Amino acid sequence: MTPEAEQMKALIVELVRKPSLVIDEQTPLVSSGLIDSMALVDLLVKLEDITRMRIPPGKVQPKDMDTIALMFATAQRVGKPRK
Amino acid sequence: MESFRTLIDALNAAPGDRLFVTAWVDEDEHEDLTFAEFRGRSRAQARFLSRQGIVTGDRVVILMPQNIAAMAAFVGAMMIGAVPAFLAYPNFKVEPSKYSGGLEGVTANLAARAVVIDDEFPDELLGHVQLRDGCKLLRAGNIAATDDAELFVCDIHGDNLAFIQHSAGTTGLQKGVALTHRAVLTQIRHLAQALRIDASADRIYSWLPLYHDMGLIACFMLPMICHVPVIMQSPLDWVMQPGTMLQVINDYQCTLAWLPNFAFQFVPRRTPRERSSNYSLASVRALINCSEPVRAASLNEFRQSFAALGLKPGALQSSYAMAENVFAVTQSDLTQPDGPPHLWADGQRFRAGHEAVPVAEGTPGALELVSSGRLLPKHQLRIVSEAGRALADGKVGEVLVRSDCLFQGYFHRPDLTADVLHDGWYHTGDLGFLLEGELYVVGRKKDLMIIGGENLYPQDIEEAASAHPAIHDGRMVAFGIYNANLGTEDIVVVGEVEREELLDNASQIESEIRGRIVAALGIAVRTIYLKPPRWIVKSTAGKPARSGTREKLLREHPELNAES
Repeated sequence: MTPEAEQMKALIVELVRKPSLVIDEQTPLVSSGLIDSMALVDLLVKLEDITRMRIPPGKVQPKDMDTIALMFATAQRVGKPRK
Repeated sequence: MESFRTLIDALNAAPGDRLFVTAWVDEDEHEDLTFAEFRGRSRAQARFLSRQGIVTGDRVVILMPQNIAAMAAFVGAMMIGAVPAFLAYPNFKVEPSKYSGGLEGVTANLAARAVVIDDEFPDELLGHVQLRDGCKLLRAGNIAATDDAELFVCDIHGDNLAFIQHSAGTTGLQKGVALTHRAVLTQIRHLAQALRIDASADRIYSWLPLYHDMGLIACFMLPMICHVPVIMQSPLDWVMQPGTMLQVINDYQCTLAWLPNFAFQFVPRRTPRERSSNYSLASVRALINCSEPVRAASLNEFRQSFAALGLKPGALQSSYAMAENVFAVTQSDLTQPDGPPHLWADGQRFRAGHEAVPVAEGTPGALELVSSGRLLPKHQLRIVSEAGRALADGKVGEVLVRSDCLFQGYFHRPDLTADVLHDGWYHTGDLGFLLEGELYVVGRKKDLMIIGGENLYPQDIEEAASAHPAIHDGRMVAFGIYNANLGTEDIVVVGEVEREELLDNASQIESEIRGRIVAALGIAVRTIYLKPPRWIVKSTAGKPARSGTREKLLREHPELNAES
């Protein structure tokens, strides 16, 4: 796992309040019920911080955030340089 | 507001060049339609439906993403006298086979003639869509507008059904509330008067789903009938970036919006300050807290967080509403400079005596309660005890409603209607009290959960979870626990395993149950507790008793209370 993915994983473990949780870059988070839609905004803000990009509203859906790998792919696909 | 015979008459009377709806995606992408353009789109949908054999009185289910095409399909159906109903668009978390069962049930209950989907409806779900005989599946995404005004002159009357709105979010127990044109127009007349709607100055902002009464009535029907522009955002886009609400209100100078209670905490907590400080909320006349019990702490947090953005002290308002009354029953008085009254009530007497006894502000142990406002014109309210006796001011009991826009019954469900309508009074199942003409809503008598403003039945969650082989048959209980950090309820599930040794494998079973619930309903539960055999409290009939089990769990797990 890259250092960026590790940062994201740490936030997810914190959000689900389960220190023993074992996840990797491909673990489904939203479709498995681990993360609810109201927590996605925290992941999105973190993703913007880690990638130093701005992700425009309306360009990302919950399914684009289902795994850590998908999150970084989404940032690559729709992210814009920060103003 | 002018007097109209039908909702379509109201739409036809709107000035053609006035902006009606903006579908906002981001600052670089939005679609703006005038009333004339929207009429054209709706007529095209009407012509399409008519050519497919849909006629007056037919029920038409609209199953499309939240956008202008869905709104035009809804109005197009009404133009030919058909009766549309929005259903929630499938979200990607729901398993196709589970989804189809719910859809089949709802369309069968409505005896729908058509289900209208968009061009991008997921193929994997399409294979699972089973409709009863005589019900067509129609794609109506990109139908070009038409100016042919004469083609769809349809003889509809005020007493014809206008549409059906559903009163709960999940599939299995959805109840269709059938509403006439007259009932909807009557409600909007009362509401527009209470809100002092000014078509030339007001603009509504909404991220609310159209399958919910707050989104459908306050943010689609009201602007359509009162000729007020509305700027809409998809609920999915909003929840991913809640701060966009501030951006849209700022950019379009919006004056009105409705929000469930949790949003009053969610937006300030999830909007980075460096973003929110760019916006002004000075244009806002009222942000109306509705569809969940109104919490003082949530309103206070929003007010304090955004006072620097020019938010007026009296801009945070409240309302009590339900699909069965079309929408609002009460509305706070917008002329009060500090918003709706807050009441400090003795906590001990409130819990033990079910009575709100006013005490001085800030008294230790006191509860701060917020009024949901005063009755709309031609509305009546009674607070009654378990035995049905009328209660005095300040006493907590079930809220009963009667009005000139109350529903006539649930569609094709006389059994459910008979449970809640007695002598013209609708028994809401909500608990509240009246004080000096103000209604305070404090909870629910029924088991219904309200999560983020959406109604959920615990039975739906229990059914999805209890099918797991490790769970003893039917021994599963779900309920909501208020989470003060979120400003709404969290879902907690407790289940009894078949054999005690299965608890060694609790983590895996829990994760599988979580997966089953999300696959069936698309919702995430906060916590799942697995317990040994014979743990769940049963009723005298031998069924799991929800309230008894809840109390037992809270005793064993005080951390659940600590967070509420």
